[in-house]
Amino acid sequence: PRLLAKEVHLNVTDLGLGYQTKEELIFRYCSGPCVEAETNYDKILNNLTHNKKLDKDTPSRTCCRPISFDDDLSFLDDNVVYHTLKKHSARKCGCV
Amino acid sequence: PAVARENNCLNAAKACNLNDTCKKYRSAYISPCTSRVSTAEVCNKRKCHKALRQFFDKVPPKHSYGMLYCSCPISDQTACSERRRQTIVPVCSYEEKQKPNCLELQASCRTNYICKSRLADFFVNCQPETRSLSGCLKENYADCLLSYSGLVGTVMTPNYLRSPKISVSPFCDCSNSGNNKDDCDKFTEFFTENTCLRNAIQAFGNGTDVGVWQPMSPV
Repeated sequence: PRLLAKEVHLNVTDLGLGYQTKEELIFRYCSGPCVEAETNYDKILNNLTHNKKLDKDTPSRTCCRPISFDDDLSFLDDNVVYHTLKKHSARKCGCV
Repeated sequence: PAVARENNCLNAAKACNLNDTCKKYRSAYISPCTSRVSTAEVCNKRKCHKALRQFFDKVPPKHSYGMLYCSCPISDQTACSERRRQTIVPVCSYEEKQKPNCLELQASCRTNYICKSRLADFFVNCQPETRSLSGCLKENYADCLLSYSGLVGTVMTPNYLRSPKISVSPFCDCSNSGNNKDDCDKFTEFFTENTCLRNAIQAFGNGTDVGVWQPMSPV
């Protein structure tokens, strides 16, 4: 099952990166279940954490994450300075 | 004033970033035009110009013209007009340490195949004619706007001047013109005092000239 990036229309200020501008963007993000993509590695981790064999470690299991990113985004801020954001938004998602 | 004033140039920038093609080519020129390459130079001007030409070649006029020809109220000399002036990232694509003479700049444009043909197109397609209703000899605003935007990314890159009315110019003046002062003044006035070009820009900004905006690349 292919994971599709979801999108949301935001103000650049909504990103919380500290920029002051009235410009906007489409933000695409990855979200969805990855249970089917789990390997023996993930099953083992699941069992070991459950049986408390790894002390306090909790290694991450398969996650829905961007496997490629959208094109860069540029905008002009309120002080007439340009900024360019890289790797800010997902293009393709996968269980990794 | 209870009415919130619309900033057309800001609206055009918003629309661009919501369109995948426009967003991609916009950041593709803003990056090189704003990246310092050494302590001596603010940017790689050659790369900036090339990316600007690509922007106007690849992005549909609805978006590229929307940003370059957005209309601002005469009273506005800051938010809207300044944003319009910044469209081409003038600190890199436009300004130089020294202002050359316009005829010298024209001569240097003639040594470049792209610049030479685009300047020739501009002089043909934006030729003013006081007796015509449009203000243009060739009554085709779309061709005039296409020729003007075609100059962006050449050594003749024009930009808006800080002036209450719409006035544009390449980065040059007519000091040190010697015997060629008249020729030089004529050349600069084709940019700064061109009724045809001014009407074409205003018509696009006001949405009054709903022509066919086919993306055609200037030669």
